[in-house]
Amino acid sequence: MTQGFILFVSVAYLLTLFAIAWLVEHGVRRLGGLTSSSLVYTLSLAVYCSSWTFNGAVGRAAQNGFDFLPIYLGPTLAFCLGPIVLRRMLRISKANQITSIADFIGARFGRSAGVAALVTVIAVVGLVPYIALQLRSIANGFATLTATTPGGAGHPLLFDGALWAAVMLTVFAMLFGSRSIHPGEHHPGMVVAIAAESVLKLFSLTVIGLFTVYVLFHGFGDLFAEARANPGASQIFAYTPDRYGFAWVAMTLLAMVATFCLPRQFQMMIVENVDERHLDRAMWQFPLYLLLINLFVLPIAVAGRLLLPGTENPDNLVLALPLLGNQPVLALVAFLGGVSAAASMVVVETTALSIMVCNDVVMPALLRVKSLGLQERSDLTQLLLWVRRGVMVAVTALGYLYMRHDSAQTALVSIGLMSFVAVAQFAPAMLAGLFWRGATKAGAVVGISVGFAAWCYTLLLPSFFQSGAEAPSFVTDGLFVIPLLKPYSLFGLTGLDAVTHSVFWSILFNICGLLAVSLFSRQQPVDRAQAAAFMDADNPGEAANLWRRTALIPDLHALASRFLGRPRVDRAFAVWARGRGVDPATAVTADAETVLFYERLLASVIGAASARVLVGALVEEEPVGVDELMSILDETSRLMEANRQLEDKSRALETATADLRAANARLTELDQLKDNFVATVNHELRTPLASIRAFSEILRDHPDLPGEQRAEFLRVVVTESERLTRLINQLLDLAKIEATGALPSAVVPTDLVAVVRESAAATQQLFAARNVALRTRVDVNRALVMGDHDRLVQVLINLLGNAAKFAPPFKGTAEMSLRRLGEGYELAVADNGPGVSPRDREAVFERFRQIGDAMTAKPQGAGLGLAISQSIVEQHGSRIQIEDAEGGGARFSIVLKAVTARETAPPEPEAAPTLVG
Amino acid sequence: MLRRVMRRDRMIGLFVVGVVLFNPPILNLVGGSVFGWPALFGYLFAAWAIVIAGIALVVERSPGPPDGPTAPRR
Repeated sequence: MTQGFILFVSVAYLLTLFAIAWLVEHGVRRLGGLTSSSLVYTLSLAVYCSSWTFNGAVGRAAQNGFDFLPIYLGPTLAFCLGPIVLRRMLRISKANQITSIADFIGARFGRSAGVAALVTVIAVVGLVPYIALQLRSIANGFATLTATTPGGAGHPLLFDGALWAAVMLTVFAMLFGSRSIHPGEHHPGMVVAIAAESVLKLFSLTVIGLFTVYVLFHGFGDLFAEARANPGASQIFAYTPDRYGFAWVAMTLLAMVATFCLPRQFQMMIVENVDERHLDRAMWQFPLYLLLINLFVLPIAVAGRLLLPGTENPDNLVLALPLLGNQPVLALVAFLGGVSAAASMVVVETTALSIMVCNDVVMPALLRVKSLGLQERSDLTQLLLWVRRGVMVAVTALGYLYMRHDSAQTALVSIGLMSFVAVAQFAPAMLAGLFWRGATKAGAVVGISVGFAAWCYTLLLPSFFQSGAEAPSFVTDGLFVIPLLKPYSLFGLTGLDAVTHSVFWSILFNICGLLAVSLFSRQQPVDRAQAAAFMDADNPGEAANLWRRTALIPDLHALASRFLGRPRVDRAFAVWARGRGVDPATAVTADAETVLFYERLLASVIGAASARVLVGALVEEEPVGVDELMSILDETSRLMEANRQLEDKSRALETATADLRAANARLTELDQLKDNFVATVNHELRTPLASIRAFSEILRDHPDLPGEQRAEFLRVVVTESERLTRLINQLLDLAKIEATGALPSAVVPTDLVAVVRESAAATQQLFAARNVALRTRVDVNRALVMGDHDRLVQVLINLLGNAAKFAPPFKGTAEMSLRRLGEGYELAVADNGPGVSPRDREAVFERFRQIGDAMTAKPQGAGLGLAISQSIVEQHGSRIQIEDAEGGGARFSIVLKAVTARETAPPEPEAAPTLVG
Repeated sequence: MLRRVMRRDRMIGLFVVGVVLFNPPILNLVGGSVFGWPALFGYLFAAWAIVIAGIALVVERSPGPPDGPTAPRR
């Protein structure tokens, strides 16, 4: 392929992206709403995967196996802590109108320009190698594709692919990131374009992966089998017990903190976020994206080892493999994927850096120089934009120069890791700032500076001389020829690779500096109060009370308009004034909260530090006394404490309410049961009484009735009286049984054989009258149980009575049986009547419950018999079971525990029969 | 409130699981080949997928707290 063609395709691709961004920002059709999708947010986070992922990971995998993976496992772990760390960061940033990571740290530590500037400088220095690496990766890819050699130090400048890549990417960064000033630094066009690039990256790497595995090889099995046979490739998978150690852990840690410490990640995740709920989705979707994009890295690397052993630069395997398979189109897709990865990284990183440098270094400095007269200029938006564009050019130029210098073959991953270590220096200050009020500005400055210095000494400076033939003595022998100060084995620490070594020392120094200075320096009350206000994102009004500041609204309004344009400020103020119930047209004096509103509005464009300088010039500031500050602090903590107690109480109340509700439901049910019971008893007693009364009245009023009719009526009266008596007896029985509790009145050894015989004799007449045959089968000679003889007879008579009642006349049979069953005896009464359906088996034991259709055939009895029987059996520690009898019909059985001969003495209450059946 | 705390605690649990699974010494227990595939390749991606699935379950089953200040849409 010719160079011109590839250049044309690349530019066309970048122009397409720019067209997407332009359409989004101008709200064309539905494109404008894309930023409100959580998927676009997730994909925009994938700016994490730069060309370092695209080419470098494959290169690393080809050399070291799985070493590339911690960089992608780390963010997964960071997102596990998302609800704690990232969400908090997001809320605080929204509340304080944070525009960059430097702004975040600066705003936390006293809204001071100093801290923010320090962070900015470190970020620029730390990220220059990273940007250089993107440029070189594009240049390498270009060279591989056109089969030329990449430009080295001696190459003519004009023909250097990396230079053109740098120029092109800078122009695009300007187009995407600094076309206009938005409050809050939202760049919706850029976000959507990055999301589109992320899709292409994933697509491209997956296509190359599939091509490698299924075209160059016959599937995964074939690839891995050949790898095992090859001595070079098989060592990637060889099992060595202590292969992964500190280096792996250090890289995981680096990647974890890079998730929020890299300026481009902070920009995408925090600053460009438009809806907090998007973060929820991204918590699993972003790790999923990382998993998918890494799926084919190792297979590609292994294939590269097998097919292109030896001299090939492993970072270019993604391009070299399709070329090897004679697939120039695929190679072009791979190249575009790499360009995508590099371009998205450079665009977002330079945008983030330009915002930082402009807001936290250049503007505060310019505003302090009175002679420039910036305070008087009416519109500063153009100035802001040009400063940012200048910064973008400068940063990319630095990257290019570094690349020219460091053009010897240091693998992409090693350079990238260097930048990771640099930005990791922000992590201690950020995390301490999020969760610890006691972290002071001095502590943050010392921690970051010491960590950065350690990074420079152990990683950056030696890297300049790594490639050169003559390394200066401080690298080989240590500073001042002190062996303990060797950069790669500081204080004699050996056995670690350079990155791990640097991570250990720099982070250790950083944390120690932060802790020591924070703990042993005095924190001014105002600083502590400010820290509290910063961290309390849910009550943004609180911060206003820290200063008694007054100003004139027209002054503030004019100031804000110079940076944001008057229409925007008018709109923002109108909304805000309405929220507070103030008429925007007549308000003149600004109280502390209004001043804070303007300051934050300004901060959303020029950062907290610059905004503070500008607003400070306009307002009458009167520091609040220590006593008042302490009272604010106390009040805050008191409120929090009270809040926590309230929450505890409300939780306890909820539990209590649930208990009460359940108890109430139970009581209502019992009440209902009682009402039903009374109504039924009432009815049952009235029916016989009414018929007795009716027949008695007939007999009284008609003395001349025929003799046989009189006898008939008298018989009815007697029957009904007997029924009444029986009913009252049963009710009394039930009441007595329920009142006596668990034990029947007499608990003595009782012979069930006698019980059976007695009840059979008692019901003989009944069966004879209804023409039902009763068989009695007793399989034991003697069956002793603990219990009450008379009560058990009562139960059996009741069951037999039911059997007689329900067995069909003339054809009916009933069987009473007694047999040994395990530890006890089973008493059973079966009939061949209609039986009891399974769903009624519980209900028949309820009082007054009569099975069957009460309208057509009213069964005899009050419906208390089974309820009483069940109560009696329960007092004997058992239950009446109902099952289907063999020939249809119902079988009622009771299992009672047998007593051994020794227990026949009058027992203690504990020896009561226990439940067996 | 209670649900939010529960969700937070579950995520911390997942974090601990991830730290243990993704790092030595557990990592160094895996090696060699299983059914012709490198065991570590299968192990790492499987463990990774499990942690991601865990996050998705925790996050999606209890949508974010509605009480927090959400971002103002421009």
